[in-house]
Amino acid sequence: MDQFKHLINILARPYIMFPAMIAAFFFVFPPTEGLMKINRRLGLYKLWTNKGGVAIFSFMIASFAFGLTDENFRLIVTKPDNVPIVGLIFLVVFFLWLAMKQGWDNDARQAKGLKPNEAEDAKENILVWPDLVYIELIALVIVSALLIFWAVSLHAPLEQPANPTVSPNPSKAPWYFLGLQEMLVYFDPWIAGVLFPTVIMLGFMAIPFIDNNRKGLGYYTFNERKMAISIFLFLWLILWIFLIVTGTFLRGPNWNFFGPFEYWDIHKLEALTNINLSEMIYMIFLQKQMPSNILLREIWGILLVVGYFTLTPLILAKTLFKDIFKSLGPLRYSVFIILLLLATSLPIKMFLRWIFNIKYIIAIPEFFLNI
Amino acid sequence: MGLDERHYNINTLNKLFAIVTLVLLSAIGLLFLNDYARSWKDYQSNFQDLEIENTRVKYDGEINQLNADPQYQQLQNDLKAAKDVNEQACSEQNLKQAQATEKDLTTRSEIKKQQYRVIKAQFDAAKFHYEEVVAHHDGDVNVAKIRYQSLEQKTKQLNQSIEQLSAKLDSNNKIFIECEKSVKEIERQERTLAQKANILSRKLKKIDPNEMTLINRIANIVRNLPIIDLANPTYKIRQIVLKDVREDNNFLSLPTVDRCTTCHLGIDNPDYKDAPQPLRTHPNLELFAAKDSAHSIEEFGCTVCHNGRGRGTDFTSAAHTPSSDEQAKDWKEKYGWQEMHHWDKPMFPKQYVEAGCFKCHSGQTTIKGAEKLNLGLNLIERAGCYACHNIDKYKDWPKPGPSLQHIAAKTTKEWVLRWLADPKSFRHATWMPSYFDQSNTNDPESKIRSQHEIRAIVEYLFTQSENYKLNELPHRGDAQKGEELVAAVGCFGCHVKQEGLSKSVRDRNRLKQEQGPNLIGFGNKTSPQWIYDWLKDPQRYHPQTRMPNLRLSDQEAADIAAYLSKSKNDVFNEKPIPQVNDEVLTTIVFDFLKKSFSQDQAKAKATEMSRQEKLTFAGKKLIARYGCFSCHDIKGFDGYKPIGTDLTEEGSKTVDKFDFGFVKIDHSKQAWIYQKIENPRIFDTDKIKDADEKLMMPNYNFSAQEAQAITTAILSFVKDNPGKIKPRTAENLTIEKGQQIVRQFNCQGCHIIEDEGGVITDSVNDWLVTYQGKTKTEALAMVKTFSPPKLMGIGKKVQTQWLFDFLHQPQTVRPWLSVRMPTYDFNAAHLNILLKYFNALDKEEFPFTEHVDTSLTPDELISAEKMFSKDYFDCTKCHVVGEQLPAGSQETWAPNLGLAGKRLKPEWVNTWLRNPSAVDATTKMPTFFDPQNFEESGPPDILNGDENEQIRVLRNFIMSLSTVTDPPQSKQQPVKQTMTPTEQSE
Repeated sequence: MDQFKHLINILARPYIMFPAMIAAFFFVFPPTEGLMKINRRLGLYKLWTNKGGVAIFSFMIASFAFGLTDENFRLIVTKPDNVPIVGLIFLVVFFLWLAMKQGWDNDARQAKGLKPNEAEDAKENILVWPDLVYIELIALVIVSALLIFWAVSLHAPLEQPANPTVSPNPSKAPWYFLGLQEMLVYFDPWIAGVLFPTVIMLGFMAIPFIDNNRKGLGYYTFNERKMAISIFLFLWLILWIFLIVTGTFLRGPNWNFFGPFEYWDIHKLEALTNINLSEMIYMIFLQKQMPSNILLREIWGILLVVGYFTLTPLILAKTLFKDIFKSLGPLRYSVFIILLLLATSLPIKMFLRWIFNIKYIIAIPEFFLNI
Repeated sequence: MGLDERHYNINTLNKLFAIVTLVLLSAIGLLFLNDYARSWKDYQSNFQDLEIENTRVKYDGEINQLNADPQYQQLQNDLKAAKDVNEQACSEQNLKQAQATEKDLTTRSEIKKQQYRVIKAQFDAAKFHYEEVVAHHDGDVNVAKIRYQSLEQKTKQLNQSIEQLSAKLDSNNKIFIECEKSVKEIERQERTLAQKANILSRKLKKIDPNEMTLINRIANIVRNLPIIDLANPTYKIRQIVLKDVREDNNFLSLPTVDRCTTCHLGIDNPDYKDAPQPLRTHPNLELFAAKDSAHSIEEFGCTVCHNGRGRGTDFTSAAHTPSSDEQAKDWKEKYGWQEMHHWDKPMFPKQYVEAGCFKCHSGQTTIKGAEKLNLGLNLIERAGCYACHNIDKYKDWPKPGPSLQHIAAKTTKEWVLRWLADPKSFRHATWMPSYFDQSNTNDPESKIRSQHEIRAIVEYLFTQSENYKLNELPHRGDAQKGEELVAAVGCFGCHVKQEGLSKSVRDRNRLKQEQGPNLIGFGNKTSPQWIYDWLKDPQRYHPQTRMPNLRLSDQEAADIAAYLSKSKNDVFNEKPIPQVNDEVLTTIVFDFLKKSFSQDQAKAKATEMSRQEKLTFAGKKLIARYGCFSCHDIKGFDGYKPIGTDLTEEGSKTVDKFDFGFVKIDHSKQAWIYQKIENPRIFDTDKIKDADEKLMMPNYNFSAQEAQAITTAILSFVKDNPGKIKPRTAENLTIEKGQQIVRQFNCQGCHIIEDEGGVITDSVNDWLVTYQGKTKTEALAMVKTFSPPKLMGIGKKVQTQWLFDFLHQPQTVRPWLSVRMPTYDFNAAHLNILLKYFNALDKEEFPFTEHVDTSLTPDELISAEKMFSKDYFDCTKCHVVGEQLPAGSQETWAPNLGLAGKRLKPEWVNTWLRNPSAVDATTKMPTFFDPQNFEESGPPDILNGDENEQIRVLRNFIMSLSTVTDPPQSKQQPVKQTMTPTEQSE
């Protein structure tokens, strides 16, 4: 049993779990036809049936039930602050399943030449009163009751009087900001704390202009919008929800990573000697002294970053995103691709950190410019 | 619109709505129930039952006592009789008639009064109108006048008839008063007698539902109902708000609020000694909680001393701390207790509860009633923890160990090598702690390294040792005489001489006896010559020593030296001394060098050094590392800082600041400190460390009780300032400073000061048995006489100047004593503090007291001599006067009266003569003036039998003995005031 827990602890290490999740992600939510075929062959779409739902939730409940037998897991998961995040896991999975199930159902209907399920609903008129307002009232009553039960059973997690000279360890942001806090590990504060939040906002505003696919309006579908859905879910599930869950349950004292069954030892030490790309190139590969000229020193990183934002769009426009480029036109394509590249820069940077201990690709502390 | 047009079935929705509203209702019900059901309400209800039971028992007892009281019985009978008499005297008919008349008269009077009120108002108005007409001439003056006068007349008439009626009523009512008069008086007496019972009965009516009226009972239930209970419930949170005891919440300080009494309801009430917790009485009501105690609960609350979360009203949130694992388990079962991680000051567990005293009593040397804390502080003082760990309280204390600046004159390298390796093998209970062969250095490699470290330290010590010429032994010492001297002169006030391990627990008295080292093993450690030299003048060898000079003669010192050097420890002396291995030595040197040089440089330097250079180099570095210089004077360490953690505010550190390493103990401050004291190196367990990184606190081998006491003391060192400190008046400061000196120089080893000390008595007892040939019972009876005097009330008793002189150079007050007051090397500051201290203790003026005229007229002198003589008080029967010793046996002897004039305060002599046992209950001095019958007690034929005069004259005579006259028997010869020290010991 202990060995099994140990195995899970190892699997939960970010450099194993994260790539595994990303790899699995594109098979479960295939953005392209090719991946779609693999998905069908593997029968992964069966997850979005009732049986699949039962299987997903059985697995999740079984995992939690098993985890709760472990003292360390129990301690973290049942902490009153963390209970909402446990709820979040179940709720997100549930609504994801619900939406995907309806999408796949409609896709199946359309394959048979039928109209989507929602078309049937559209014929029906729903009265605001009593149908809508009444169920809203019922929902309100249920939620009120739930909140009261919750408040009575789990007390507010109060701590000692605040002390300006003592910071709690780990110091955690409120749960909805844990994704941002996780980003701070990999990026300079002005990028993770200022640039990314701004871009996220702008990105939301840009969605209606970028997404010109008219299919899927008013009904659930996956097949007709697979690229859009999988990009969105990638950002939402992997780069936001997953980081919140990680930040809540797996980040312990000193912001170290801990497996779900690991004791949060405040003295745990991890070897974290990070180096900049320029140091890696000059000192490790070339065995040379660092050039004193800043531009010369950082030229590799600058080339890389500029290349990332200029060459990649061009290449993608010719290959993977050929269709998108065609339908969006150059301007909207540029906006779309820049946003996408900014988003994917996060997992890229994470990998670089975990595997090569890269701190900054461009490191110019002289001008507070670190990327 | 029909039902079929709807998307949802309205009936289903109605049902669903009904169900969810019921769920919401139950949620709200649960909310109220949860808010209403508090564990403290159960305790309050239990307490009320207990209170009712208690009051009832008391009430019944009181009633029984009353019924048994003949006075009360008499009263009851009288009352009955009086009532009977009344019934006869005031027959029913008479009363009825009187009542009827009363009713009639009252009615008539009321009617008249009503009329009067109307007429009076009209009269007032008419009066004003009349005045107005006269003043403004705007009406008929006569009409106004007539109206005014007629109304005036009417008013008067009515008033008169009211008065008449009232008089009639009074005379009619007399009969009632007369009838009840005797009964009322008896009832009044009864009430006084049954006052206690009545109070109890009233209380019962208030709290006991069975005694209450129905309405009150219902009201009591209603006021405790949910929601309604916001007004004035009987079950409520009780709190004590302390405006002057602030809680520091980092951003603001708030008054302390203690809600402990919400559950601990009987805490200040002695009636609940056996009640179950939490209702039980405080175990020490005399000192705490009770209204008239020094720390009343209204003024001090609870958390000031106990810590914990005063605002918490359930078991866990009050931050209770269990005293053992069993208790923790028990609490978890009983109260669902959990440790409250988020509270920085959890309650002290029971065994460390005294740690709360120090924050207010930090200035005192002994905190009365806090025995464990006192023991802890005394251990810290004796072990010298303050030398390595700065503790503000001990800032100016001397170094605890002897000076090593002349060590070569005292002992040999071999001895020091063996000693450092294991001091306890030489003296079993030595205060020198063990540095080597500890739990983190007992592997073979470390053992070899330790041997070399010791060698290096010894080499450095002997290199720095300065030349010191010992005085030659003038005579051959006689060991047997020496043994007797050691027992006689008072060495055992500060030293013990004990070969085997002591079985008894080391308590505070034992610590006083261990002020100096155990006097064993001198034969191995040093030479008789050194002992002789040391005894003759300790300050010459070690200027800061607290060892006093006993003014031993050369022969005496030689005798004692011979005796002490007889004691040898052969097992210790035969321990092998390991060879020096240059390779190991080089490693040690290299480890130090590499801290300031590069590895290559360090290696080169290390190989360049000769063995001797290596030894002294490493020796000095090691002394700095282990902090030897903190306790001992060693040359070359001026300006070095203490090596240990500052402990002044150790108790305020939060638990996350302690490194528990891999040791599996409870993660609490007290557990860590205890563990550290018990085994200082334990937190190195399972850690990989270089030799020079290891923990180095030495091991004192404290027992469990001692470790607990020291933990209590360290926990008590906090930064809190609760605002309840003893006022910092000059007087209190003086007392605190004085106590410190008394403690430092161990005055209480010999003397009883402030009700404490005098531990030398046991050894005086032994001396009486062994050398004076007394039986044990005899010795017990006379041991007080042969022990050093008790120093209580000394400020009132002796003159400041005399005390000053005496402390400089003691003179003989009690020639029969064999124990000697030694000469201390006090400086002026010490002396001043001591003198002020003794005077402040007795609230005496300092330095000057009132001048008292002690002159005598010739007649008075004659009377005084008479009283002094054999025929009357026969003072010289016991008292030494000048050189003349009393006739009786030594155990009855009393202090030298020849010194009285210079030594004693006249006022004190007065008080003393009047009633000696009131000053000192155990004195042998007879009481000449009976305090019970003072006027008759003095000799009637002297000074007209005026006792006050007799005392005054006798006092003046005694005061004049040294300066004016000799004792009556040997007139005209001056009294020799002092004896030389050598005479004294005879």
